[in-house]
Formats: sequence, C-alpha cells, structure tokens
Amino acid sequence: MKCGNGIEARQVNELFINIDPIQAGGRLTADAMKAVVAYGDGYSVCDNCRKPNRLDYISKPPIAQFHKDVAAWLNMDAMRTVPGARRGFQAVAQTYVGKGEPVLLTSLSHYTEFLAIEEAGGIAREIPADGHKLVTPDAAATKIEEVKREFGRPPVLAFIDHVDYQYGNMHDVAGIAKVAHQYDIPVLYNGAYTVGILPVDGKALGVDFVVGSGHKSMAAPAPSGILAATAERASEVFRTTSIIGDVTQRRFGIKEPEMMGCTLMGATLVGMMASFPHVKERVKHFDRELENQRIVMDTLLSIEGTKCLSEYPRTHTMTRIDTTASFDKVAETHKKRGYYLSSALEEHGITGVIPGATKVWKFNTYGTTKKQALHLAGAFVAIARENGIAIKE
Amino acid sequence: MSKRAVDMTFQALYTLTDIRVLLRETAPSHEFDKDQRVQAERLLENLERQVGSLKQEMLK
Repeated sequence: MKCGNGIEARQVNELFINIDPIQAGGRLTADAMKAVVAYGDGYSVCDNCRKPNRLDYISKPPIAQFHKDVAAWLNMDAMRTVPGARRGFQAVAQTYVGKGEPVLLTSLSHYTEFLAIEEAGGIAREIPADGHKLVTPDAAATKIEEVKREFGRPPVLAFIDHVDYQYGNMHDVAGIAKVAHQYDIPVLYNGAYTVGILPVDGKALGVDFVVGSGHKSMAAPAPSGILAATAERASEVFRTTSIIGDVTQRRFGIKEPEMMGCTLMGATLVGMMASFPHVKERVKHFDRELENQRIVMDTLLSIEGTKCLSEYPRTHTMTRIDTTASFDKVAETHKKRGYYLSSALEEHGITGVIPGATKVWKFNTYGTTKKQALHLAGAFVAIARENGIAIKE
Repeated sequence: MSKRAVDMTFQALYTLTDIRVLLRETAPSHEFDKDQRVQAERLLENLERQVGSLKQEMLK
C-alpha cells in the first residue's frame, strides 16, 4: 500500500512487535496520531500567534501552558521545545563553550554531544566508564583534575547521560553533578532515554539543564525534544536577541538566538503535547515495563551461551546482549548466515533486531503488553530450539 | 458542504486511529481478548455511524 508517490505506507508497529532499541519510547499515542492528522500542515500552530510573536507564548492551542507544565513536571524553571535532543545539546554548547575550551562528557556519550562540542570549538574530554560500564562520581572527579592539569582550568560544561545509548545503563548523575558543581561546571542531563520513560526531577538531580527526546522517549513525532533549565541558566541559554540591522535599524524583539526564533511549528509540537498527559502517567508505571523486560531477559539468559552485557538486573528496558555463543554459532552454518535470526523473528511477528546481527545487539521491550512480552520470550526459545541451541530449564 | 461533514470526516479518522492503536496493542496475532472485542465492536459501530452521517451530508 502506498501513501504517496513511491512511499510505502509504514505498518511496522501494526504488523509486528517492534523491539528496535531507539524506537520503543517514541511510538505515538492515539491522541498524538489524531493531533498529527489535524496539525500536519506547515505553520499549523501559528493561526493564533499574536504579539509578542513567539512559539512559547501561543495560547491556542495551549502551547504556552505546555511549556510551563513540562518545566514543572521536570522540576525545572523554564523549558523550550527543540527539534531533537541534539539541538538542546547544541544550544547549551553554543552558550557556554568557547574555542579550545575543554568539555566533559563520558566514554558512553552519544555522538551528537561530541558534535555539539566540536561545532562550538570545544575539546572533548571523556570520563571513562568502569569495568561494569558505569560512569561514577569518583571517575568524574579524577577526570576533572586531569583536565585542570592539561588545560589549566576545569571543563566549562559537562554532558552526562543518565541512561546511555550503548548499554542502557543507569549512571549516578546526581553524584557526578555534585562533583562537577564543586568546580562550578554547569551540568547538562541527557535524558534522551529517561524523560518520558521514568520520573525525572532536575532539582533533585542537581543539574542545570535537562534535555529530553520527543521522538525517542515522549511518544512524539520526529524531530522533537525539550531543553529545560534552572532559572539562573535559563537567562543565559534562552537570552533574547540584541542584534540590529544597520540599514533598516530592525530589531527582533524577544526572539532567542539559540532557538533560532521559533522551534517546532506543527505536527511535531502538537503531537508531543497530545501525548504529554499519557507520558506523565506512564512514567509512574515504569516498574511494569521492567517486569516485561525481565520476562524477555530471563528467557534470553536461559538460552545456553547468551550473556547480558548491560548491568543486571536491569534498571532500563533497553538492553545490550551477547549471543556470540548461542545464536551466532548457528549463523556459522545456516544457509541464511547471520540473517536467519531476524528472518526467524519476523516469522514470529517480531521486528527491530538489526538484520544480520547475531553477535552483539540491542533490544528494547518498552511499551509492550505482558502478552507481547510473553510472545517475545516464547519466540526466542522456539528459534533457539529449532536451531539446536540448548535451553537451561 | 457543511461543518458537520468536516467534523464527521475528522471523527471517522479518529475512530480509525483508535482501531489502528488496537491493532498495535495486539500485534502480531491481533487476537482480541473479551474487553478488546467489546472495544472493537464499539469502534466499528461508531465508524459506521460516522460514515453514514458523512454520506448523508455529502450527498444530500
């Protein structure tokens, strides 16, 4: 079925259980889908834009209230929507990082944090994760001291991922922020895998900025995200323009340079807004999500040779596993080679595992029902048995 | 054409959206439990009514 010239209608989430590690938390709610239908046109949220002409002042639809509500929900003082978490990183880096200045991130940080530093002219310095793939406050303190020796000053900014994209491990952001603040380093909390998934309290974490991803974790269309700040930092990152045209003497009112004026102006924003009440509710029930993850994880670990590379027991639904000694053994002789696993999963109505991956791969059970989690578990066992892999009883 | 026709078009799209979500929640087998079956029946009845109203409005 086509939805446009050469564009296949995407029915992945209707036909399959989708365990793609980055797609799980971004699946739209029914209300978001309805909002997208109504607000798909380009400048659709601008019908009632009145002076002072800025997105976060629009009251119909209730965009202004949404900004206040999200800031309060995260226990921060101000919030702006951004076209993806990466644009939040970019805005903060552009505000605080100068040419040649050191910036702290971690050995598990997302590449877009590196790019934000690079674009600002900064120099990346990584806090190494320990043997358990966890980033600790002690390691942060050691790295800051190293940076001080190297640059003669501490880092100007720290990017800390609460849950990293590589292992889905949960890091002690509060502890790291406490260390960073002893050196007056502002801390950006990367909540791409947490904001909209589990409760996040910026003040309790002691961070200066909270960044979230709408399309990764807030059941919103892409590209969307949020950047929240404390009152002190909001006046810096959300400063207003002061530029004046030399011929026209034009000024641009309360537009914010780091936001490039208005940010999300249609289906992305209203989709995120429509999902928000559901997102607020669902973070309270993350324990149910972990229970479904456990059903699948325990079953995978019952397959002889399978290892969990993420911290275990799991504290997040996105997980990295090693099946080199189980599913990959089969790939060595299977006529479909490594593609047999994704192919077999598809026959069981499951998608989201990278085709060809049989050694180390990630999956995410977020948003599955218990029935679907049991189906996933049963499918992995069935595929293992069909291919002669032993199951530990 | 009337505002009612426009409203009915949106309502039918929204009912179809609710059906779509039900299909997502029950993938891949789409086997409904008792509550889901009741929900599906209600949604389909609404859809028929909405399409009926739309037909009346558009073809009168």
